Amino acid sequence: MHNRSNGNPGLSRRQLLKHGACSAAGIAGLHALWNLGLVSSAAAQGPGSVNDYKALVCVFLYGGNDSYNLLVPRDGTHYNVYAATRQNLAIPQGNLLPITPNTSDGSQYGLHPSCTQMKSLFDAGRLAFVANVGSLSYPMTKTQYLNDSVARPPQLFSHYDQQFQWMTSITDSNQGFGWGGRVAELLHTLNGSSALSMNITLLGANTFQVGPTVAPFSMGTGGPQGLAGFWGQQGQRRYLAFQQLLNRQTPNLFEKAFADTQKRAIDTNALLESALSGAAPLATAFPDSYLGAQLAMIARTIQVRDQLGVHRQVFFCGIGGFDSHDNQNQDQPGLFADLSASLGAFQAAMAELGTENLVTTFTSSDFGRTLTSNGDGSDHAWGGIQLVMGGNVLGKEIYGTYPSLALDGPDDIEGGRLVPTTSVDEYSATLAKWLGVQPGDMATVFPNLSRFAHPDLGFMS
Amino acid sequence: MGRELRSSAKAAATWSAAALTILLQGCSGGSSGSGLVPGPDPPASEAQAARFLTRSTFGPSAEEIHKLSVIGYTAWFDEQRNATVSLERPPLSQLDAHGHNVSQEQRLEQWWKIALRGDDQLRQRLAFAWSEIFVVSDVASALVGDPIGVSEYYDTLARDALGDYRTLLEDVTRTPVMGRYLSMLKNQKEDLANNIRPDENYAREILQLFSIGLVKLNADGTPQLDAFNQPIPTYDQPVVEGFARVFTGWNYAGATNWDFAEWNYLPMEPWESYHEAGTKLLLDGVVCPAGQTAQQDLAFALDLVASHPNVGPFLGRQLIQRLVTSNPSPEYVARVAAVWADDGNGARGNLLAVTQAILTDPEAVQGNVTHPDTFGKLKEPLLRLTALWRAFDASFPGNKYQYWYPDDDLGQAPLRAGSVFNFFTPSYAPPGEIQDGGLVAPEFQITTEQRITSATNRFWECVFHGYQGYSNPSADTALLHINPEIGMADDPAALVEHLDQLLMCSEMSQEMRDIVVSMVTDTDPADRRQRVLEALYLIVTSPEYSVQK
Repeated sequence: MHNRSNGNPGLSRRQLLKHGACSAAGIAGLHALWNLGLVSSAAAQGPGSVNDYKALVCVFLYGGNDSYNLLVPRDGTHYNVYAATRQNLAIPQGNLLPITPNTSDGSQYGLHPSCTQMKSLFDAGRLAFVANVGSLSYPMTKTQYLNDSVARPPQLFSHYDQQFQWMTSITDSNQGFGWGGRVAELLHTLNGSSALSMNITLLGANTFQVGPTVAPFSMGTGGPQGLAGFWGQQGQRRYLAFQQLLNRQTPNLFEKAFADTQKRAIDTNALLESALSGAAPLATAFPDSYLGAQLAMIARTIQVRDQLGVHRQVFFCGIGGFDSHDNQNQDQPGLFADLSASLGAFQAAMAELGTENLVTTFTSSDFGRTLTSNGDGSDHAWGGIQLVMGGNVLGKEIYGTYPSLALDGPDDIEGGRLVPTTSVDEYSATLAKWLGVQPGDMATVFPNLSRFAHPDLGFMS
Repeated sequence: MGRELRSSAKAAATWSAAALTILLQGCSGGSSGSGLVPGPDPPASEAQAARFLTRSTFGPSAEEIHKLSVIGYTAWFDEQRNATVSLERPPLSQLDAHGHNVSQEQRLEQWWKIALRGDDQLRQRLAFAWSEIFVVSDVASALVGDPIGVSEYYDTLARDALGDYRTLLEDVTRTPVMGRYLSMLKNQKEDLANNIRPDENYAREILQLFSIGLVKLNADGTPQLDAFNQPIPTYDQPVVEGFARVFTGWNYAGATNWDFAEWNYLPMEPWESYHEAGTKLLLDGVVCPAGQTAQQDLAFALDLVASHPNVGPFLGRQLIQRLVTSNPSPEYVARVAAVWADDGNGARGNLLAVTQAILTDPEAVQGNVTHPDTFGKLKEPLLRLTALWRAFDASFPGNKYQYWYPDDDLGQAPLRAGSVFNFFTPSYAPPGEIQDGGLVAPEFQITTEQRITSATNRFWECVFHGYQGYSNPSADTALLHINPEIGMADDPAALVEHLDQLLMCSEMSQEMRDIVVSMVTDTDPADRRQRVLEALYLIVTSPEYSVQK
C-alpha cells in the first residue's frame, strides 16, 4: 500500500484533486479501523441481534455491457439523436418494448426487444434502472475531464481495472477488498458462528466479496460438492491420513492456503449439503443457461436460510460475453434475452419462497461502451446503465440522470464515451445501506462516498 | 497492478524514439548463448534434476531424471533447442482433408499427446506458458468452430517459444485466430459519415497484456512512481486509438473481397483500401508517419512495442511466475530482464536465453532455502496431472488421448480461458496471509473451494480407476504403469521414498513421509497394488505435492 501525503505545501488543491490525494480518513486507515474495532455496527449488533433475513445478489456482466441498447429513448426527438449516434448499432425504434417510468424526465423510453421479462418486472414496480453510473474518484464534468483538472480513476477503459473499481468502490486504492467484503466484515457476526461465509460466489474468485478477514465461499451451480471415495474401513483410514496431511504445520504460505481451502471446502460442503438435502424442489423453472443455473442455485440457498442459521448474505454470479467489439448486432439479443429471462425466473422464485422483499438483485459491469460503432461492434467506454430488482426496490423508475446520447454532447468526452453522472460509490452505498450498514459506518465501508452528492440514490424502500 | 510500490530511485533505462534500433537476430541455428546452468553440471543429484524438470517440462520421468543427471544441463538445453517441433495442426488438417469432422475435442487430444509424449518438452512447456499470456480461447463463439485455426495458433506459440519475441509478437498478431478473438481481422479505417472508428480491442490488449503493461516499470519490474508516489501510465486513450488505426486493413489470406468469411489458418494479409493512411500517435509521443502501407505501419508499431523497456521486466516476471515462483525478488526480475535486453550477443528478446536465465537463476536454485515461507508457487492443476501421468508413463485406452474437458474438473484447459485475462491474473492474491503479506499466488484464482474439491475427486479417479489393468477404464483417463512400484509394496518406506523422488523432487517432509508410510503399512500387505494406489492418492492430493518449491 502506498501513502499519499496531503500535507505537501507545494501542492495546490487542483494538483491534490488531480492526483487523487485521499481524505485524512482515507484508504490508509481502512485496515486499521477494522482492527481497532472502531466500527459501530459490529459492536452494536452481536449474534442474534436480528431475526430477519436480507440478501444482496450481484449479477456481474463481464466485458462491459452496451447498456445504451438495453434502455433506449423512444420518443421521436431523443430516438433520432440515439439513432444518429449509434448508426448501424441502433435498435429499430419500432422494436423497442415501451416502458413508462412513474416519474418522467421528459423523454419516453423503451427496452431492447429481448427484454420481455424485464419489462414485466419494471411495469410491476419490481425493477428500476440507474442511468449513467460509472467509476469516479470525484464528481467530474466533461470539461473537467478534458482539462484534466480533476483526478480520473486510474486506467480508464481497461477491463480489469474498471472491474476492480466496480468491485472495490474505491477507485484510488489498489487494496484488494471489495465493498461486498467490507460490508460482510461488519455484518457477518449477525450470522452467529456459522462456518459458512456470509459471502457466496457462484462464479469463483472475485474481488467484490473479499474483506480484510472475509473470504467468499465458492460453489458450483450443482451446489456443494463432497469429496469422493472415502467409503468403508479402508476409506476411513485414507480420510484420516488425508486430513493429517491437510493439518500438517508448514511454514510455506502456499501449502497453508491450499490446505485451508480444502479444509474450508470440506466443512462448508457438509453444512450446505445437510441444509439442502431436506429442501423441496423449486417450482419455478429457470432458463437452461449458465446464468439461469447460477441464480437457481442462489435461490435454493436462500430457501434454506433458516436451516443454515444465516441472517445476511451477499451472493455473486454473472456471465461473460458483453465485450462486443465484434458482431454486436448478432450477439446482443441472446445476451439480453438470457439476462432478462434469468432475472425473471429468479424474481419468480423469490415470490415462490416468500422472500421477494428480503432479496435485492443488482447488476454491475466493467463499463459502458462507445455509442459509436467500430464497424460491427463497440469499444470500451465509461458510464453505463445498471438495474436493481426486488420487492424493496422502488421500481418503475429511472434513477440518476439519463445522459445525452449526442456525439460531442454535454456527456460525451469523445467518440461516444459518456462521463458518468452517478458514481459506483453512490450506487453501492445505497445497496449496502439497505442490507444494514449503519450510517456511522458508511464512511468506513465507502471512504470516498462523502465526495459525492447522493449517498443514497433513493431506489430502496 | 503491482501491489508493492517502491519509491525506488533506480534509473529506468531511458528510452526514446531515437533508440529504436533493434537487433532482431534470432537464435535459430546460433549458439544458445549464455551457457547458463543451475549449479554443478551435470546436476549434483537426481533430486536437483527432478526439480529442474518439474519447472521446464510437463513433469519428470525416471528416465528423464536419470538422463539429465548424466548429460547435464548444457547438453539438455541443446537437445531441447534442436528437438523437432511437435505440432497439433497437421494431424487435424489431415483428418479434415479426409472429410472427417474436426472438433476442439480433437485439438485437446493432440495437446495431451504432445504434453505427455513430445520430445520437445522445454519448447512445449514454454508454449503452454505463452498460451496463458497471449491468450485466445475456444470458448469464444468466434473460435469454437475453428479447431484447426486454434491448433495452428498453439503451433505458432510452440514454433516461436524459443525464438525471438519480436517474431512471436508479429506471428501472433497476424494469426486469423487472434484476429477474430480480439477483432483486428477486418478492422477498418475511420468512416466519419457513419460514426465508425477503428476497433480498439487488439490495440488495447496488445499493450496491456502482451507487451508493456499499464504502468512504467523499472528494470527490476517495480513500478516507476511520480512525484505523488503514483504509478505512471504507459499510455492513454489517444495512444490506444493510434494503435487501433495501425491495426486496420487486415483480412484473411486469399480473401477475394473484404467480407470474405472462409476461415483459414494462414497469416492475415493487408488490404490497403481499408487501412488508415494518416499519422498515428503511438507510445511516448512517437508518431507513426502518414502514407505507409498496412505492413509498414505494423512493422513500425511492433518494433516500437518490442523495444519498449517495460517488455523485459513485464513479461520476464510473468514467465518466472509460470515456471518457477509466484513472487520473484526484484533482483531476479532484473537479471532476467537484463538477458531480455541483451542475450550476451547483442540480441534483444532472445526467448531461449530468457528461459535459460529464468531456470538457472540463483534464486530459482536457492529460493526454497533462503525464503522457505514464500518461495515457490501453487502448481497449475493441469500440470499436477501431467506430472502424474508422465511420471508413470500413463497411456490412454487405445492411445486416443480423449480427455476433452479437463476444465470441468481442473478449472483449466489449453486455450480455453474465460477471457483474454487468462484463468488467473498475475496479480491475483488469495485472501488471508498471502494477500495480507503483499504477495500474489495467481493459481489460487482457480483453486476455490469448488475447484479444489473437483480436482481432488479427479485425482481419486486418476489413481484408483487409472492404472494399467483396471477393469473398466474410462476414455478420458490415462492408465498409470505401476508394476515397478507394485514390486516395492512390501517395503512401504522404500516405496514412498521412490515416489518422493519421482513426484516431489525428494522434498517430502518427514512428517508427510510418516503419514504416507503409515497408510501404506496399514493397507492389506497382500493387496500390493492397493498399497501403491493409497500412497499415490495421498501424495497427489497433498498440499506439499501441490506446491512447487
